[in-house]
Amino acid sequence: MVATAEPLKQAHTVGAEDPHEHLMLDPKPRGEMNGMVMDAMHTTSWKFWVVAVFLGLIVLTCLLISWGYLIAEGLGVAGVNRPSFWGIFLVNTVYWIGISHAGTFVSALLRVMKAEFRRPFTRAAELMTTFGLIQAGFSIFMHMGRVWLAYWLFPYPNVRTLWPNFHSPLGWDFLAINTYLMASTMYLFLPLIPDLAMARDRSTGWRKVFYRILSLGFRGTEGEWTHLRTGMTIFAWAIIPVMFSVHTIVAWDFAAATRPGWSSTIFGPYFVIGALQSGIAAVGMVVVLIRATMKNMKYFIRPEHLDALGKLMLIVSMIWAYFFFNDYLVQWYGGDKFTQMLLEFHEKGPMGWMWFGMLICNVAIPFLTLWNKKIRRNPSMLFTIGLLINVGMWFERYIIIPVSLTINRMPFTWKLYFPRIEILLSIGTLAFFVLIYMIASRLIPLVPVWEVQEGQLAHGLRKVGKAEVKTVSEIE
Amino acid sequence: MSEIKTFLALFDEIDPAVAAIDRLREQGVKDDQMNVISGIPLTDHILGRPRIWSNVPRLALGGAVAGMLFGIFLAAGITNLYPLKIGGQGLVNGAPTVVLLFEMTMLGLLASTFIGVFLDSTFPSYRPKEYIADISDGKIAILYSIQEEKVSEVENMLNSLGAQSITPSERQPL
Repeated sequence: MVATAEPLKQAHTVGAEDPHEHLMLDPKPRGEMNGMVMDAMHTTSWKFWVVAVFLGLIVLTCLLISWGYLIAEGLGVAGVNRPSFWGIFLVNTVYWIGISHAGTFVSALLRVMKAEFRRPFTRAAELMTTFGLIQAGFSIFMHMGRVWLAYWLFPYPNVRTLWPNFHSPLGWDFLAINTYLMASTMYLFLPLIPDLAMARDRSTGWRKVFYRILSLGFRGTEGEWTHLRTGMTIFAWAIIPVMFSVHTIVAWDFAAATRPGWSSTIFGPYFVIGALQSGIAAVGMVVVLIRATMKNMKYFIRPEHLDALGKLMLIVSMIWAYFFFNDYLVQWYGGDKFTQMLLEFHEKGPMGWMWFGMLICNVAIPFLTLWNKKIRRNPSMLFTIGLLINVGMWFERYIIIPVSLTINRMPFTWKLYFPRIEILLSIGTLAFFVLIYMIASRLIPLVPVWEVQEGQLAHGLRKVGKAEVKTVSEIE
Repeated sequence: MSEIKTFLALFDEIDPAVAAIDRLREQGVKDDQMNVISGIPLTDHILGRPRIWSNVPRLALGGAVAGMLFGIFLAAGITNLYPLKIGGQGLVNGAPTVVLLFEMTMLGLLASTFIGVFLDSTFPSYRPKEYIADISDGKIAILYSIQEEKVSEVENMLNSLGAQSITPSERQPL
């Protein structure tokens, strides 16, 4: 068989998929793509400001004022009490750390695997990592209550002549989350430098100063690209095990305790896949929102990208179901009296609706919908499914933490947890996440234009027999 | 000896730029007297240029070792400096030590990779530099230095290869 490369402009085979449907096969001049991304950043309608002000008010009341009240009055105004000392604050911590996993997964793992569909939305995912971790940090500080003593967590020889005990999973958490926060922020920044330089070249006024400072004097010389690419390759490989370690260590906070429902050897990978489940679904939602609300984004984010994300969501959902059943079966089979009671409480107790809701959102809905290509490529459907998966994953964390804490080995302490001020604070952190994401979307080029152009350079059509097939060259 | 002058030749496409690099070499311009500036990373294989050595991997390795040593200090050092005896347990235990070593090693590796990119690229650098904003719009620039008497000959050659513009290089604020 002889295969010959043909120019892209040649008409595609009748009946076959239109190659121009693919971003990589539908190139535009770089200057035009730069202009489109800059336009998207500069164009803000009145709706944007209305939403921003609304979110700002929610942040002010639900996050700042409520947190101030919590600090002033103490944790007594929250619902956490015996036996559920870990409430929504830690549900949110685990949830937001999970959300943060998507950025690294989508960006680093797909970069390492050279999955081409990643190119236009890696940054949108990486931003979620950093912003998600900020919310996780907030939630931990809320849980502490006395935030002004947070420095006790730092390793220093204090007046008690006792450093924090690094043999505790909570100490590992501190190190792992901070490592991940720093690493993901650096990983966000490195590939951003060339786009900041592009923005610098096309800006005036305060934006010029802003981009000039952040682009660090980048020009695009051979040396600068070589060092940047080398650094990004090391990051892409090294940040993946860090990502896995973070949620595994979060899982050990639970699994290392000999509590019914928590003491499980597979909690580490179960948590990691749960994090990816909610994180990838959240990336799908963000990508749909960016595509719908920002100018010119329909060129960069196409049904093929939604399709790829939909497939990822389905695969991860299957793996999550596998781990959930594995964990459930072994605990059920073990026959421990209190574990049996807990499992029964999950299903038939007052929070049973949440347990079934979790299974419907995380398993039934993705399984029944995402196998369908038309559904995967439909923005509204993908957004809705992503939202439901996130609701399901939040339910899962709620069941694992306060609901499971209700049933312990001391029945006289059994009491169901009812959140109080935590509800406001949860709404506040969610609003803060959306607000800073919205602001960032107007300051940071959300599409890595240089990566898109690089991909378009590498893609072409090759004629094989009578068909034209997509080919990718290794130019990296 | 004649004066050396520096120019910036701008190309629309990669192929003519690569051809220009070869022809500049034929005109006696050494590889270290040229630099290619582009809006996307073009490897040395594509450009036919000598490989650029990067210190980033070595710095990353050094950072990883430093991070691991810090991890050992956290896991073993402080437990001996400030011993907290718990019945039946050793001061330094294997499994928790592995966790600390892993996290600190990776932090050292990643932080030093980041710093390594800055050091090797001499970031941040806000001094005026030879640059044209068109580069970030997809143009490929060849910055080259040449003896004064060859200027017009090289200019004609580059124009024949499709150079969009050839201008005396001027440092300007970015």
